Amino acid sequence: MASRADTGVSGPPPAPRQRGGFGRFNLEIRQHVSLLRQTVVLLAGLVIGLAATAIVLIAAGVGLGAIYDEFVVSIFSSSMSVSAVLVQAAPLLVVGLSAVVAFRVRFWNIGIEGQMIFGSIFATFIAIHDVGPESVRLPLMFVAAAIGGMLWIVVPALLKLRLGINEIISTLLLNYVAFNFLLYLLYGPWKDPKSAFPHSEQYEAFERLPLVGWENITWALPIALILAVAIWWLLNVSRFGFYARFVDANPKMAAAVGVPIVMLTLSSALLSGAISGVGGFVVSAGIEGRMTQSFFLGYTFSGILIAFLARSNALIAILVAVFVGVLFVAGQSLQVFYQIPGSMVQLIQAIIVISVAASEFFVRHRVHWVRGAG
Amino acid sequence: MDFLVNWISNVPGFAVPFALAALGLILTEKSGVLSLGAEGFMLMGAMAGVGAVILTAQPELALLVAALAAAMVSMIFAVLVVILRVNQVIAGLAMVFLCQGLTSLIATLEGWTSRAIIGLAKLPIPGLADLPVVGRIVFQQDIVVYLTLPIFFAVQWFLTRTETGLKLRAVGENPEAADSAGINVSLYRTGAIAAGAALVGLAGGYLSVAVAKIWVDGMAGGRGWIAIALVIFARWHPWRALFGAVLFGAIEALIPRVAAVGIQVPQYFMLMTPYVATLLVMIWAAMRGNVRLDEPGALGRPHVREERR
Repeated sequence: MASRADTGVSGPPPAPRQRGGFGRFNLEIRQHVSLLRQTVVLLAGLVIGLAATAIVLIAAGVGLGAIYDEFVVSIFSSSMSVSAVLVQAAPLLVVGLSAVVAFRVRFWNIGIEGQMIFGSIFATFIAIHDVGPESVRLPLMFVAAAIGGMLWIVVPALLKLRLGINEIISTLLLNYVAFNFLLYLLYGPWKDPKSAFPHSEQYEAFERLPLVGWENITWALPIALILAVAIWWLLNVSRFGFYARFVDANPKMAAAVGVPIVMLTLSSALLSGAISGVGGFVVSAGIEGRMTQSFFLGYTFSGILIAFLARSNALIAILVAVFVGVLFVAGQSLQVFYQIPGSMVQLIQAIIVISVAASEFFVRHRVHWVRGAG
Repeated sequence: MDFLVNWISNVPGFAVPFALAALGLILTEKSGVLSLGAEGFMLMGAMAGVGAVILTAQPELALLVAALAAAMVSMIFAVLVVILRVNQVIAGLAMVFLCQGLTSLIATLEGWTSRAIIGLAKLPIPGLADLPVVGRIVFQQDIVVYLTLPIFFAVQWFLTRTETGLKLRAVGENPEAADSAGINVSLYRTGAIAAGAALVGLAGGYLSVAVAKIWVDGMAGGRGWIAIALVIFARWHPWRALFGAVLFGAIEALIPRVAAVGIQVPQYFMLMTPYVATLLVMIWAAMRGNVRLDEPGALGRPHVREERR
């Protein structure tokens, strides 16, 4: 049996994986993987995913030159399109941070869209009913959105902690409940009387996030960036983050030495819901200026994707959010100019997650072919 | 009385997608693979079914195509979780979104979206269909409703009475022990994923070809997730899953009839009921005792022979 041990590796001995006349694959578990190697392999996974995406696009009738034009040239050729990417990246970063916070304590928050909906509903309530003086209206909407999002995750969080009910299913089911409630509001009491479309009345100027002064970037982007730094501090510097990493690495040990696991999980889940609620506010008050019936679509998976690609690191999430923003903007122009349905963006994201997740196999394992042994 | 018969005679049609999907999930999860991709496989089956009806005009054939399409796309999932040992939650979620994007893309490009099709015809049993009450409820259904019970018997028999089924369950309970006994864990899990996805795809195809008779994006509407919850509620037991499916079929069949008899509830609140009911059912199941005691021992745990300790 050929055994090529890495220097410094003291793993279990490699075992035969497939038996056959010609030889077999041997798998070794890598015990220590350098950061460089991890990065290279994951980037390779990303490139393979993008290549697979290109193949799908070509099969859908978009030429290779057009793909290059839409995804690279036209994005970086004008400050207008760069700002379009950044406008899109702001809410993406916010939901990505929501996923980062939840995944750090192994809470699978698949209810980001429902929490966005309730965040936006709470903020819109403040706007419609003119709560508070005009000067503090926006901060009030921000806080209301955070509370709305938080309330929408309380039930799944408590059900998981008290009864052990799988949060993946409970958070996801609540998305459908939130969506139907949104439709009830938008087709009923909150419908804009001046419009045939099901959306709320337009926010007043002071209820919308102001422009920062470059192209059409609003305060949504600074808010998202500040949030990213704050979350990074919380998870990587503060005691809270240290506890979270402890629980992630070894829950039994953490419990034994008295880490408050239940409080940690609960507060992380609530924080994740609050951030998602802010994400709803950022879309409604920062981009659309009102609550529409589809403002949240696709953000759950994008948030998960961003947290996954960023390895749950809030600062790396900024970069990934911009990358996903490029996908969104390019997807929109493909829709306009090539009649490629908007679902293509979703497909691209799924392909990237799959190829990057698959590439992790080669981070953790060494595969080699052994000849002749039967 | 007429309301009651009308309602009950519609229950099987609404229950069948839940029942078949839950059964497929049980089959997959008995091998220790957590299958969160059900919603995606269902969509794939639904889209492929409509496409096949449009191309061949044969609804029965289309149902087979639906099952086959879902089984094919589930092989991506199998490669990810069985060979590459990707986290099964990530892989399952990615499958849902992959299928959502892919089905919407294919259907839009082919022009299948929102196109009415000839659906699966009812198959009244001669002689029995004219019986009062019972005839309408039991003997005026379509072929899939008639076949659902035999399919349940077959899967239950397979799991409990055949050697292959026993080995499948062994793989799900303790893959290390099964491996030592010479069972090919990867092969059994791959087979269980394909067979389970075929049933989920059949459920999706039934949804589009027999119930809705049309394809629209995302038409599974969370039924795949409800089926996952049903499996937990049923504690991985086929007959209890069938009971749960009938319960949810009854709820869904009731929704359009409440407004018809003049009870004023805003329709969006009615549309919430299946999801709220699912949550309640999960709470009820959890209150009755730890669900984990009944789940396959190795559920969600990849088998890596080289990591045996």
